[in-house]
Amino acid sequence: MDQQLLNAIFIGSIYALFAVGYTLVFGVLDILNLAHSAVFMLGAAVTYSLVMNHGQSFWVACILGIAVSGFMGLVIEHVCLRPLRRRQAPPIAALISTIGLALIIVAAIEQGQPGQFFAWLWVDGPNSVAFPSGTIPNPTWHVGDLTLEASKVAIIPISIVLMLVLGYGIRYTQVGRGLRAVAENPRAARLMGLDVDRMISLTLVISSALGGLAGILFGVALGDISPYIGRDNVEVRGLAVIVLGGMGSIPGAVVGGYLLGLIEVAALVTLGSNARGGVAFAALFLMLILRPQGLFGAQLRERI
Amino acid sequence: MKRLRLVCVAVATIVVAACGSTGGSSGTSTNSYAGKVIKLGAILSITGAGSVYGPQSQNGMMLAVKQINASGGINGATIDLTVKDDASDKAQSAQVAQTMIQADQDLALLGPTLSNSAVAVHPLAESLKTPILAVSTTGINIVPDCNFPDTTPCKYVFRDSLGEQTAIPDNIQSYANDAHPKTGVLLVAQDDKFSSDGGTIVQNTVGQYGISLLKTIKFNKAEADLSPYVTQAVQLKPDVIFITSLGGIPAKIMTEARKQGWQGQFLGGNGFNTATVSAQAGAAGKGARSASAWYIGNTFPSNAGFVSAYKAEYSKDPDQFAAQGYTGIEILADAAKRANLTFTDLAGDRDKLRAAMETVNIQSPLGPFQFTSSHDVNQPVWVIAMDGNGGFTLVHEIKGS
Repeated sequence: MDQQLLNAIFIGSIYALFAVGYTLVFGVLDILNLAHSAVFMLGAAVTYSLVMNHGQSFWVACILGIAVSGFMGLVIEHVCLRPLRRRQAPPIAALISTIGLALIIVAAIEQGQPGQFFAWLWVDGPNSVAFPSGTIPNPTWHVGDLTLEASKVAIIPISIVLMLVLGYGIRYTQVGRGLRAVAENPRAARLMGLDVDRMISLTLVISSALGGLAGILFGVALGDISPYIGRDNVEVRGLAVIVLGGMGSIPGAVVGGYLLGLIEVAALVTLGSNARGGVAFAALFLMLILRPQGLFGAQLRERI
Repeated sequence: MKRLRLVCVAVATIVVAACGSTGGSSGTSTNSYAGKVIKLGAILSITGAGSVYGPQSQNGMMLAVKQINASGGINGATIDLTVKDDASDKAQSAQVAQTMIQADQDLALLGPTLSNSAVAVHPLAESLKTPILAVSTTGINIVPDCNFPDTTPCKYVFRDSLGEQTAIPDNIQSYANDAHPKTGVLLVAQDDKFSSDGGTIVQNTVGQYGISLLKTIKFNKAEADLSPYVTQAVQLKPDVIFITSLGGIPAKIMTEARKQGWQGQFLGGNGFNTATVSAQAGAAGKGARSASAWYIGNTFPSNAGFVSAYKAEYSKDPDQFAAQGYTGIEILADAAKRANLTFTDLAGDRDKLRAAMETVNIQSPLGPFQFTSSHDVNQPVWVIAMDGNGGFTLVHEIKGS
């Protein structure tokens, strides 16, 4: 179980980081941003492409990957959300428009092949690639029976520190108070002189940057970067995590992420490999029946 | 004397005339091809799970078509090959096949890439009486019993890809003879036919060679993270890990198992036999063995010529799937040449082509190639090992029957 526990914590950290971005947008806007999984993929793809095809160092590529992901947050806001908000469209319209953007991003990456228009962005088309060993610093240690791989071990402190910083920022800084005010009541926030559109843009930038970072960590640690990593691995699981944790709650997303990682691995070890996905979603289902607001779902109406 | 000379001249004239008339009749049959177009359709997985194989098959086919057309075509007829993507999806595969057979009126089809799709496409081609040549499907019940569980032999379905039912046992036997392993663990993707069939074959084979299978670990290809499965396998400390799965997954499993400190032998099936997988596995894959229909280093002319032409065309090495795709076109071209096609009666031409395919006997990149009476492959099997640098080395040759 030992190594398996580590496996659970690694994957749980990625789920948590991804879900924090998801839940942040939901908390502020009451909208599920389904382009989040495409941004997750884009972060990984851009970083890979910068290292392998444009000769950048890994660290520079990571920073640019996160920057591009953050910028995608602005794109999501200006293309998918703001025009609809102006027209007071129902939340379902925003949900659909983010799905549309996700499909476009995935399709663009899919088309990236040598000699084609998107070759500057990605050249491996629909294929799954991994950083060849040696291109990124990744020492591996063996402690007793445990295998500790730097890229996976690093995920844990990175995720925890980022989530603490985010939690602190939202609670105690001027900007954080602004975000919470917008989440609580956008009209009142606007009447108080807050630039609501700017707050929403900021939310999407932070959320998308976190999503992109989660994608980079995923791609590096699991050796799997393809146009489909977001859709296949985190899109639905991310939803499961925020339902487990409580929609819109950041601590909930963190705890939910680790919980889902643990449930999946425990199911695999005790019930066999067939049970992994099933048990995780059975837990989700139980949660919805027993405690629909999730673990940290606030019945008092405080958001994010 | 004069009379004798007259008789000689008469005899000579008759002989020449006879020759002329035979030449003439064969000329008529050849001429009916000149300027005509032989339409072929290939259903390949260019995107999706099969995308590490489909594009290679496509390259191999395109190269063969280009070479044949450049050297005068088939008795003067040119090949027009259309490749369509099935996105590795069974339903889409069947739709594409139907379009090719009925709307495009292709003479014969190639593909599909995945066995999972073949179970939908092959019965369709059989029912529409259109010859179909599988170039990469290796699962069980592909040929001849395409209508499995109905065992009536399928008349129109052929394959030039080495079935897993031959490849996996050959590979296990050859490794058992070399190293006498005692224990194994099987990692099998359960969500596609190719992989799960491979797993069944491993389970049915290992016992014969004294290997006890400690555990079968099933997973789905879309799993986020394979490390918990690999941890399970590694903790049992087996001599061998069998992997039957598609795409980049064997490489991911190998990389993860080596990271976790496991030193044993990887054995697999056709899923290993592409340079993409070998390259992705890198050093972690070194020594991983599989039985292949093709080996790049073979120096017989039909392979050496193919390899150098492929490198010249695409600036990279071919792999097994490229070789099988290339051979697929050669097989159809050889059959079409001998089939005496009319180009007016499509159904009749499809039947003639099917009959001619049964007697194909060519030198291909795969080695000397014929079909068995059940339309399966009769060719040598090459046991190969990954070399740690994206290529393969030859371990054993097992001769065809």
